[in-house]
Amino acid sequence: MTARADGFCSHCLLPIGPRPLRRMTNGENSAFCCYGCCIAFQVKNGKSEEWEAAWLLIRLGVGGFLSMNIMLFSLLLYTGAFTGADARLLPWIDLLLWVLATPAVVILGGPFLAETWLNGLDGRLTSSALIVVGVGATYIYSTFAVIERSDHVYFDTATMVLMLFTLGRYLEAAGRAKAARDLEPLLAAESECATVVDGGSETRRPVREVAAGMLVRVRPGERIPIDGVVIEGESYTDEAVITGESRQVTKGVGCPVMAGSINLDGPLLIQSSGAGTATRWAQICRSVRDALTRRSPTQRVADRVVGVAVPLVLALGGLTALYWTRSLPFDRALLVGLAVLVVACPCAVGLAAPLATSLGIGRLARCGCLVRDPGALEALARIRLVAFDKTGTLTSGRPYVVGIEAAEAGTDEVLARAAGLERHSEHGVAQAIAIAAAARGLEPVATRDVRSVPGRGIRGRSNGQAVAAGNRAFMSDLGWLFPSALRERACALEAGGHSVIYVGWGERVRALLSLADAPLPEARSTIQALRRRGLQVALMTGDLAKAAQRIAAGIGIEDVQAGQSPEAKRAALDRYRQTYNVVAMVGDGLNDGPVLAEADVGIAVGSATDLARETAAIVLPKNGLWMLPWVVDVACAVRTTILTNLAWAFGYNLAALTLAALGALQPVYAAAVMAGSSVLVVVNSLRLARLPDPAVLPLGPSNAGPQSVGNGVAAAAMLSPAIKRS
Amino acid sequence: MAYCLVLFAAGFAGSFHCIGMCGGFACALGSDPQGHGATILRHLLYNCGRLTSYCFLGGLAGALGQVICTSQGATVTLLNGSLDTAQRLLAIVAGLLMIGMALQFYGLLQIFHRLAIGFGSSTFAMSLRSLLRSRSRAAALAFGVFNGFLPCPLVYAFAAEATSTGGALPGALTMASFGLGTFPAMLMMGGIGRVLSPTWRQRGVWLAGTCILLLGLVTLSRGVLPIAAHIAHGGLAGHPA
Repeated sequence: MTARADGFCSHCLLPIGPRPLRRMTNGENSAFCCYGCCIAFQVKNGKSEEWEAAWLLIRLGVGGFLSMNIMLFSLLLYTGAFTGADARLLPWIDLLLWVLATPAVVILGGPFLAETWLNGLDGRLTSSALIVVGVGATYIYSTFAVIERSDHVYFDTATMVLMLFTLGRYLEAAGRAKAARDLEPLLAAESECATVVDGGSETRRPVREVAAGMLVRVRPGERIPIDGVVIEGESYTDEAVITGESRQVTKGVGCPVMAGSINLDGPLLIQSSGAGTATRWAQICRSVRDALTRRSPTQRVADRVVGVAVPLVLALGGLTALYWTRSLPFDRALLVGLAVLVVACPCAVGLAAPLATSLGIGRLARCGCLVRDPGALEALARIRLVAFDKTGTLTSGRPYVVGIEAAEAGTDEVLARAAGLERHSEHGVAQAIAIAAAARGLEPVATRDVRSVPGRGIRGRSNGQAVAAGNRAFMSDLGWLFPSALRERACALEAGGHSVIYVGWGERVRALLSLADAPLPEARSTIQALRRRGLQVALMTGDLAKAAQRIAAGIGIEDVQAGQSPEAKRAALDRYRQTYNVVAMVGDGLNDGPVLAEADVGIAVGSATDLARETAAIVLPKNGLWMLPWVVDVACAVRTTILTNLAWAFGYNLAALTLAALGALQPVYAAAVMAGSSVLVVVNSLRLARLPDPAVLPLGPSNAGPQSVGNGVAAAAMLSPAIKRS
Repeated sequence: MAYCLVLFAAGFAGSFHCIGMCGGFACALGSDPQGHGATILRHLLYNCGRLTSYCFLGGLAGALGQVICTSQGATVTLLNGSLDTAQRLLAIVAGLLMIGMALQFYGLLQIFHRLAIGFGSSTFAMSLRSLLRSRSRAAALAFGVFNGFLPCPLVYAFAAEATSTGGALPGALTMASFGLGTFPAMLMMGGIGRVLSPTWRQRGVWLAGTCILLLGLVTLSRGVLPIAAHIAHGGLAGHPA
């Protein structure tokens, strides 16, 4: 086990309170959230030389030995083996039971007492206080009974309750450790080691000490610890934690690799391209760590309930015992009180939310989806409307040619000439035109003397004529003739939300190319998948209404709010919230930060380079829009699990409490079902770890590529990042 | 008493099977550097822990049987006496289970073996290694306690037998007899620290199988025979008294 920063249990990786249990194991200082985790950790990791590790097991074993013997002797008492002539043996048997029970209570009850004490110093009463009080009262009463030579001793009850609770806590902790395996790589990123190659020697160093330019060797099966470029070797890698897609990517010499991806089959030598702590992987891990330390609203409620419940239960136990003393002998009434204390122990309530939430966060993080606030995950399960930003979220954010308006030439000639010019440009618009020409099988016209005018357009000479393509201002600068029919058409197109490129030659503007943003190939299926989950979908954009309508119609959204400033978007969100209560907003995380922060759940697809400055509560990987329905599914599963856990814990506690208060439940049975209840909650939560991977929707990103839309002229331009020209 | 002796014998014979697995533990527990007496004490403690666990399991199993039988108002019986329907059913189930285990010892039914292994006995044992290495006597005791809960077909068979007795005390006694039966072999293993030759061990396993088979048949007959008697008498009374 690697060393961990404070704040997490060494065993189950859940956040620990202000006063954790501390133990030295394997020479490292470990902190635990509960006694169960402490035992389980030592059982799993204890080295044979460690006396401390064995000590806990010895405690458990010797405690078990004593309590089982007490049970067997008590069995003899109950079945009446010491009646008649043997009756004079009875006090001695009682004394023997006391001799056995005293060390058992000290050994098994010690940790509970310590926990109660530590929390008591904070002024908090936890469930272990119930056990201490109940078992303590029973033990002390039985001890007096031995001294007074009375027949009623209940050492068996006292020790068996302790034994069952210890066992229950151990099983619970074992279950949580299983859950922790999901989160382990995410939390270990910063303490992970990299094999740094320096000259001929290889040293293991923590990732945070790796600087740019260092050489790092990664063996097959290892996680690549840093961003960099492959210098030597060839292998497949799995980049699921960054991109969300679990598939093998070939990496050879010169290929960039990302920290966090897993090297599958060959050794790689990688030159680091930045500090080890600056990678996206490290940011993801920090973000998960932050999210886990925060408490969701449900958890806060549960914690408060536990806080209130313990004193209440103590009072209830006392009152029950008092009530029964009127009709029963004191010892029987005491047992009823003990049963109430044991059965009302709210351990399962406190466990219901955090385990399910961390499992959900871990499940999402393994597919590259970040949850920065556990509350957002719970809110996401309750949303009824998803509002989308348009540009860069539902569309690629890159233009493509949607129409050609030619006045005095054929469309093919316009496209061929424009393509000939734009071949010399790296611009996004240039690529859109080149792709459109290629889609029609046109040969670009050879063009010479090409000069590009930044912010305006590009000009050159072909077939002895001056050729130019650019915006309206460029044409005015050139002073070329502009036919009024084209002028009107251009106004209409611009009003409709298209960007217009003017193409002319021979001192005349001959044609208009209208460019627009294309919806992402997966947008339509994503919207449909969300609708199937009963969610309303809306589109919000700062673009003109026509452009927004066109995109919305293409992907099947009816509710469109166009031409909105960020303030208007926020106001619109408020309106939606009045109707739909909980509203999610999906944006690209770059331009709409404030709006994302305003929504109940802000979801960013791709994100700002620095995750720490991200305002969205949930961040999907770049091109990860298709994962949104799956994320909603996971959130719903987490919420369902939490609710069933709480329903079970409360329902069970209430039912059993009634039985116990009526005196119909033996304390030992109560302890057995109580321990079982916590284990059940853990098992129920563990089902979350088996949630399926996101299903790739039809038209997923893997088959996204240049494709024809509309009349065949247009093609999506997706080859490289583009900058808008006008 | 005779019944207990049968169980003791079965346990003794069965312990040759134990040598395969638990014998390894006994050897690993090894000898105490403080001398012969300390070594014997150590192994006695280990076996006491084991015995306690067995008794406890037997008590639990018996109590379970009792719960099943309670509706019939069962009287506790050992080898003979009046038996009601529920107890007879238990006896049939336990008998069949024991015969199944016995067949497994002959290598005929592998499912029980897989069940025992699949239960995670190896991981359980691995996590206890720190106890084995510890020089403390308490560790030996604790190890014995955990060892008693290790999944083992022999223990399952006798726990089934304990259930069929239909009482916590007789159940505990059943397992106690069996546990005491395994004492000699296990003590010997620890003391001598020498493994029996494979042929002898194989013979021991067959012997154990035969014992359990016989015990299973006896248990089964306890469940089946009264019904057979009823049928033989041709009584019109459909259900036993």
